[in-house]
This record gives sequence, structure tokens and C-alpha cells, in this order.
Amino acid sequence: MSKKITIYTTNNCAYCVMVKKYLTSKGHVYEEVNVELDPARRQEAIELSGAMTVPVTVVIDDRGQRDITIGANYGKLASALA
Amino acid sequence: MSEENPAKNHQFEVVMVGAGPSALAAAVYTTRENIETILLEKGAIGGLAAVTDLVDNYPGFEQGVAGLELAQKLQAQAERFGAKIELTEVMAIEDQGQIKLVKTADGDYQARAVLIATGSDYKKIGVPGETEYYGRGVHYCATCDGAFYNDKRLVVVGGGNSAAQESLFLTRFASHIDILIRSDWRASDVLIEEIERHPKIIVHKGITTDEIAGENNQVTKVIGTNQANSQRVEFPTDGVFVFVGLSPNTGFLKDSPIELDERGFIMTDENLKTSMPGVFAAGDVRSGATMQIASAVGEGATAALKIREYLEGRQNF
Repeated sequence: MSKKITIYTTNNCAYCVMVKKYLTSKGHVYEEVNVELDPARRQEAIELSGAMTVPVTVVIDDRGQRDITIGANYGKLASALA
Repeated sequence: MSEENPAKNHQFEVVMVGAGPSALAAAVYTTRENIETILLEKGAIGGLAAVTDLVDNYPGFEQGVAGLELAQKLQAQAERFGAKIELTEVMAIEDQGQIKLVKTADGDYQARAVLIATGSDYKKIGVPGETEYYGRGVHYCATCDGAFYNDKRLVVVGGGNSAAQESLFLTRFASHIDILIRSDWRASDVLIEEIERHPKIIVHKGITTDEIAGENNQVTKVIGTNQANSQRVEFPTDGVFVFVGLSPNTGFLKDSPIELDERGFIMTDENLKTSMPGVFAAGDVRSGATMQIASAVGEGATAALKIREYLEGRQNF
């Protein structure tokens, strides 16, 4: 099953680095949206997560179901990616 | 980090719980002695150091070093000698005599010795509004979330080195910062001087933080009390960053026989041994720790040497 993964980040966010490493270590490809470099998409991250924080990881499966993980929550990410 | 799940495939001579500076330093020492070592981290490799903007008091970096960069250097050094790092949460440690069972969300690990170096996290203030607005105006990580406050007003609560250093980082984004300190500064003089001459920052001493209030799902002000005259004071703001001290990451030990002090930090003897044989503790999570990265690294090295002594003469897997 193919899943589309988007991670919203900022420049200095250590937890963002960790989530990207986690995704890579599990063999996943993702799109990164740096909301500090791309302020136009900052609101998108806020609307998706309901929070002004990063990392926010959005996983959309092939049926269009969306799962949103806030922070470096590897257990939740594992479930979303299973 | 590897794609396979090491819990299913391996026993390890040493399991380290946490991958902050203390565990990473310990892992450099154990792996250089060919002691097979894995570190289990539930958050960020490098711990709180990794989310700190600038570390200015770690020896060897004359201009200071970004916390994330220091964390990455520590990780690379430990991995160079063969340390493995997995991102998973430890739920419990069981004493099975010669073997310690480390239970995680992804399976159990067997170890002959365990180092607990889970560090600490920023404390909550415990006031109305703090939980309600968490992540939507109340934050504990400036390097993560500061970028959401371009040209906005901020309040920083706290008077220690973290509050001072992270306030300086937040000036990259915010138009104005009020720092609320319950009593007086506990930060280094060099930081205080930089803060007090910064045009974007005003420091308010003797102010308790009593409530974080908002409207329409957004933080609008912090309400406090001026200790000098008991008057209510209000600080209009778009967001609040909280750095009021540290709380140990020992929740996973709540049903464990490992002895904690009254604040939840792990008790050790002078050899960094906990009350469970074969289990050691080092760094910020240890009762009596100085909460300094340099100290945590030193304790990590000490713990590794004591673990090596403990393992000598014991049966290998």
C-alpha cells in the first residue's frame, strides 16, 4: 500500500530531524514542508494539526484516509505507517 | 538506526535508556571496549541539549555550539564505534538476576547491564490555561515553535539559563518579549547582561505567573501577581514559552523497585549504581545531578567504566 507522507518542520527543530530520520530508517519517502522557509504554508500546518508546533506528520493512505501525528511520537507514527 | 527491529534479533551486553549526552558519552566508552551497546530513545537524540539553541558552556567550542549540532556530533562519534540507536519508548525494566529485561513499545530487550540516562524535561507551571493552550500558544521548545511568532509578542516564564538562552533565540522572530521571573535571575551573568541590553526584551522580576488566558482559542495574555505589592498584573501576548525548571523522565520506573528521591530523580551510590543490581544511572535523571551537559558527559564516562567493571567476570550471552 502506498502512503503519501508530508512532514512540516522548522529550521532548528531537533524533533523534526528525528522524525525524518525515523521515516528514512523505516524506508519511507516523504515531502518536507519547512514552514519557516515557506511561510505561506504555515497556516496549512496549523489548520491540519490545530496547533502552532512542529513536527507535524501527515500520512494519507491509498483510500484517502488521513492520519496526523504531532511531535516525535514514534509509536503513533508506526501505527499510521503500518 | 536500522530498518530491522533489533529487539527481535539481539541480546545486548548493555542497554542504555535514553540517548542524550550522558548515554552517548557512555556508549563511546563501552563500544570502544567492544561491549555491544544499544541506546533506546523516545524523543530526540541528544535530549534537551538537542533542542537548545546555543550551548555556550560546553568545553572545546570557543564560539559555543548549536545544541542540535552538538547532539549530532555526539551521535556520530558513538555510532562510529558501533553503538546502535533505536527510536522507541521504554516501558519498564525487570530484574531477572543476571539478565535485565528492558520492555519497550516494540518488544523486549535482554541486557547484562542497563544504564538509565533518560534526562529530564521542562516542568509545567501548573496554572489555568497552560494545558488548554498547549501547542496553541503555550510552548516548551523555542527552537521548534519560535518560527510561528514572526513579529508577534511573547512572554517567557522562567529565570534560569534555559529561559535566558531561549529568549535570546526567540528575538529572531518576536517583536517584543516580556520575561516573567518569580524571584530573581538564576542564569549566568553573561546571559543576563545580553538579555538586559536587548532592545526587544523587558525583564519583570518578582512576578508570579497565575493564569494563561485567551479568546477564540488563542492566547491573549498572561495574568500574574507582583510580589512586591500583591497587585494583579497582565501581559498581553500571542504566545508563552515556559522554562521553569526540570522534571526527571522516570515515569516508566513508577512500579519499579529502583529507588527514587522525593522529586522522582534516581538515587545512586558513588559508583552510579542504582538500587537494582546491574542497573546504573547517569546525567540529569540522577539525584544530585548538576543539570549541565559537561557533567552529564562526565557521568556517562564514569558509568561506562563502572559498567565494564560490573561485567568483568560475568558470563557473556
